[in-house]
Amino acid sequence: MTLSLNSFLLISGLLFAIGFFGVLLRRNALVIFMSLELMLNASILALVAFSRFNGTMDGNLFVFFIITVAAAEIAVGLAIIVSLFRKRQSVMVEQLSSLKN
Amino acid sequence: MILILVSPLISAGVIALFFRDSGGIASAISVAASACILVFSIILLMHAPETTYSASIEWFAVGDFTLSLGFLLNGHTALLLFVVSFVGFWIHLFSVGYMDDDKAKGRFFGGLSIFMFSMLGIVLADNLAMIFIFWELVGFSSYMLIAHYCDTDEAASASKKAFIVNRVGDFGFLIGIVWCFWHFGTLDLKEMSWAVSMDPSLAITGLGLLLICGFLGKSAQFPLHVWLPDAMAGPTPISALIHAATMVAAGIFLLVRIDFLLTPFVLDWIAWTGAGMAFFAGLIALGQNDIKKILAYSTLSQLGYMAAAVGIGLPGLGLFHLTTHAFFKALLFLCSGSIIHACHHEQDIFKMGGLLRKMPVTSLAFLAGMLALMGANYTAGYWSKEAIMTAALAIDPLVFWFLIGGAVLTALYMGRLFFIAFFGKPRSVNVEHCKESGPVMILPLIVLAILALVGGFYTFWPEVLSQSFIGEVNNVYHGEEFHSAHESLKIWGTVAWIAGLAIALLIYGVGTSKDRLDGWLPGLVLVFRRRLFIDDVYDFYVTKIQQRFVDILGFLDLFLISGVFVRGSAGIAGLLGVFTRSLHVGSIHGYVYWFLLGVVLFWAFSMGWI
Amino acid sequence: MVFDSTLLLLSFLIPLFGGFTLLGFRNLSPSIIRLVALTCFTVPLLIAVWMYFMFVDAPITDGYRFYTEMDTGLGDFGIFLTLGLNGVSLPLFFLAGLVGLAAGIQALHSDAGRRQLYLSLLLIMQGGLMGTFASIDVFFFYFFHELALIPTFVMIGIWGGFGRRSAAIEMTIYLTLGALISLLGLLLLYTSAGDISFNLITIREYLASQPLSETLSNNIFGLLLFGFGILVSLFPFHSWAPRGYAAAPTAAAMLHAGVLKKFGLYGLIQIAYPLLPQGAAHWGPLLLWLALGNVVVIGLITMAQRDLKQMVGYSSVMHMGYCFLGLVTFDAIGIGGAVMLMFGHGLSVALLFLLSTAVFHRTQTYDMKEMGGLASRTPILAGMFVAATFASIGLPGFANFWGEFAIFVSLWNYEPWVLVPAAAGIVISAIYGLRAVAWIFFGAPSEALKEHWKENKPFDLRQGERLSATLLFSGLLIVGFFPRIFSDYINLDVSTIFATDPAMVDNVSTEGAVGELSELYEVIPEPDHIQAEVSR
Repeated sequence: MTLSLNSFLLISGLLFAIGFFGVLLRRNALVIFMSLELMLNASILALVAFSRFNGTMDGNLFVFFIITVAAAEIAVGLAIIVSLFRKRQSVMVEQLSSLKN
Repeated sequence: MILILVSPLISAGVIALFFRDSGGIASAISVAASACILVFSIILLMHAPETTYSASIEWFAVGDFTLSLGFLLNGHTALLLFVVSFVGFWIHLFSVGYMDDDKAKGRFFGGLSIFMFSMLGIVLADNLAMIFIFWELVGFSSYMLIAHYCDTDEAASASKKAFIVNRVGDFGFLIGIVWCFWHFGTLDLKEMSWAVSMDPSLAITGLGLLLICGFLGKSAQFPLHVWLPDAMAGPTPISALIHAATMVAAGIFLLVRIDFLLTPFVLDWIAWTGAGMAFFAGLIALGQNDIKKILAYSTLSQLGYMAAAVGIGLPGLGLFHLTTHAFFKALLFLCSGSIIHACHHEQDIFKMGGLLRKMPVTSLAFLAGMLALMGANYTAGYWSKEAIMTAALAIDPLVFWFLIGGAVLTALYMGRLFFIAFFGKPRSVNVEHCKESGPVMILPLIVLAILALVGGFYTFWPEVLSQSFIGEVNNVYHGEEFHSAHESLKIWGTVAWIAGLAIALLIYGVGTSKDRLDGWLPGLVLVFRRRLFIDDVYDFYVTKIQQRFVDILGFLDLFLISGVFVRGSAGIAGLLGVFTRSLHVGSIHGYVYWFLLGVVLFWAFSMGWI
Repeated sequence: MVFDSTLLLLSFLIPLFGGFTLLGFRNLSPSIIRLVALTCFTVPLLIAVWMYFMFVDAPITDGYRFYTEMDTGLGDFGIFLTLGLNGVSLPLFFLAGLVGLAAGIQALHSDAGRRQLYLSLLLIMQGGLMGTFASIDVFFFYFFHELALIPTFVMIGIWGGFGRRSAAIEMTIYLTLGALISLLGLLLLYTSAGDISFNLITIREYLASQPLSETLSNNIFGLLLFGFGILVSLFPFHSWAPRGYAAAPTAAAMLHAGVLKKFGLYGLIQIAYPLLPQGAAHWGPLLLWLALGNVVVIGLITMAQRDLKQMVGYSSVMHMGYCFLGLVTFDAIGIGGAVMLMFGHGLSVALLFLLSTAVFHRTQTYDMKEMGGLASRTPILAGMFVAATFASIGLPGFANFWGEFAIFVSLWNYEPWVLVPAAAGIVISAIYGLRAVAWIFFGAPSEALKEHWKENKPFDLRQGERLSATLLFSGLLIVGFFPRIFSDYINLDVSTIFATDPAMVDNVSTEGAVGELSELYEVIPEPDHIQAEVSR
């Protein structure tokens, strides 16, 4: 069965939506990060699909950039979460509200 | 002439700087200065030319407005210069004796010198602005001197009252002066009188009314008379100098100087105020027990005579009475000062008694002054007072009736004072121990007493002094139109004072210890004692109305302007702050939503929808 | 001449230098602090005196003497440090020097803690004041004013009295708001004058050749009026004054009320009125009512005060009303009178604040009703206070009288009925002034006060206080007796800038004055003509 572009895009969109709502609705900071990763990966999938179906290499090339950026971002973000955990003993996002007002 | 003006100023300055504590030296300097003034004045007058003389320099100029310092020497000036310097000198001398037990002598004599400076400034001035300047300075000296006994509440409030009431008069005076400047283009008296003589319609009633506000304040006529009796809180020589002979006379002097500016309406007003004052002040004097207050109201009454004289169109008569009044009123005050000093500052006449025996010279001097005041025939007061009443009878009979009533009252209250204080037995410990005062104080009394008795023979006055009034006085006594009035007044006048004296004798007897009239007609006496309740009206206004009003204003300012507007706007800024602060929800999810919103907005913008 | 101009530069540089020295070096010995402070306070006054004597013969450039121009790097914007004095700024320059020295002496003899910091702030303020009156460039004019204003915030906040924190904040924000509004006006002026230069003379010449449209003139003038007005406590923007002065330390109050307050009026006279006559005519009626509000309403409110410093603060606001009235008349007499009054008022209000603190030291209270009987115990203090009070209510013999009288004269020409409420002010001021004197000095002291005096006997004026007070008092007396010391110079400039309408009797409309003004930009005085007039 040949998979059309649309199915890839559908999957990608689904993944993106799951990640998106995860960021908005989950309370655990680590889970939010995972959702972010999910969104990034969804965009990677979409890019590869386009590249495959258009026959160009542009999409593939861009994937490398995204992977690099994602990795860097995870590194920094996790470092922040770890030090926050050391301060607050919690990673639940509601409790990180000292900037309120 | 500059020396005359400057020497008391120098004296004041020197005293203030160096000799505040050593009262003796201060008094010496001050007396020396006043002697200098007297000597210079006499020299000046002897050398003075027949006609008027003037000189001026520019003192201040801005834009088109120039204020000059100038001198104008004419008949009025000459007369008043003599009066001020002469009476002033004797009072300085008297003060040396009176103030010998006072701690703040230096301040007192410094103040006296400043007063002489200011008064002479008024006398010698040639333009209205300069008069105003020295007018205010006289008010200031009066304030300083009334407040001499500064530890007492009466002195504090009396000095305040004097200056403020004077200021109210100055307020009208100032507006009048400014109007004058723009109306005539100048404030110089000579130029203005020339302008008016060319074109009589230039004199405006309103202008005149405003200018006489100054007179009303300084000479304590209704409704600005309330400060004078309170001013008796000052030492007696002050009362003699300032409030009997000179400062209050400044008002009359002003009237005479600006006489050409006064329309008939204004003159009528002055005459009526004067006549009314002459009568009603006499009534009030009947209800007073303090010797100085009686004399104060007597001064008010006599000022009324002078005002009436100006009002009926014979300012020279007013000046003549001013001169004689200066002599005998100063004398009376100095006598009372001598009494007060000897009786250790006892001032209630009902506590005195038998003074005739204890202090003979003072009593006789007082008698001389009293006779002059009542207008007993051939004393100084007789000539001036009768002249005014004669003229009044001929020109405006209604004014005359008030004046003659005033004369009767004068004799009445003076008789009351004399019989109670000088006869009978001493009624208090202080008075029992009193004895005649020292020579320094007696000498001025004698000199003034002599003048009070003989000073009225105007024909013997030197030309330079009498030129301002001799014409009118002669006219009144020998002229055609006054002849009938003169004849009838010879009788009426004499009757008036003898009647007054007799009534006093009847009512009060000799040496009574209580006020008999009070016993018979308490209500009437109460009205008199309470000064016809005029003072109470002022007090009510000040404390209840004025103070409440300003307190409300203050509260409004605090509440509305500071509170509502200023704090309000600060509050609004604060509210804005609170509102924007609440946007910081502190939760990451909130920030994500904001982020999302931002992205949507960017997208819409880039799509061209915004 | 270059020497004189350098002196002008030094007059504000030296205090600034002294101020920053004291600020920078920590823990200097007290004698060095004293030396630096005394020198830096005295030098400006000496320079001012020198300037005064040199003023007559100094060459005139565009109406200013001792003209000098320096580039401070902002030349591209048209901003040069241009200094000079004219007849209006000379008395105020002198005033700044005199009051500065008096305030400095007072500060040196006061018992303020952290004296080094206090003196450095005062010196910076003094530098700013001298610079304000010496500068012709509008930008630097504003700059020096802000330089003088900021230290007051710190001084009130740290060394002030009761309620100082909130008073400092309120006052500074309010005044900065005023300065901001006036800055807007000044910037608008700059752009309307062709964006060339902030130099006042250049702007003046430009506007002479290309006058502004009426709306623009009105708007700029309005901004300037309200901006400067807030700075001078124009009614109803006066609330900062009583609270601010009541909370301020003495030297700061003296300098602020005495000198800094005059800045707004000075700006109006030098900048707004000559350059924007249509605006002035347009806003005149409103200003008239506001100024009357100052005189009458604030005057009455002053009568309701029991606190001594608040009373002095309110009375200072009231007298600014007179100056505004002088400005409204828009003629030489009124404006010249306003300048004279500014000078006299600066001295008298500084003296009053000085003496109020002196009274406080002897009675430990500012509530006047609680005092009494000081006159017999402290005669010199009493005498000075009475003199200061009489000076401020306009008694002849002190400098204030000449200004007030001239203002009254000019008011009648402008609009006769205005004189009635304005002159009523002299009665009102007499009432509260004398009442204060009676409460504080006369009568018997209250019980609480007598108790207090059993341990701390009231002492008469001490050395430092006496020196300060004498400086101010002699200034008042000398100008009071010889007003021509300053009035001649004021008259020189004011008569050429503002002509009196020759119509003598009532109903003088300001249109007449406006008509004349458009010609006078060419009538900037020629040197020979003026030299001949001034030769004495």
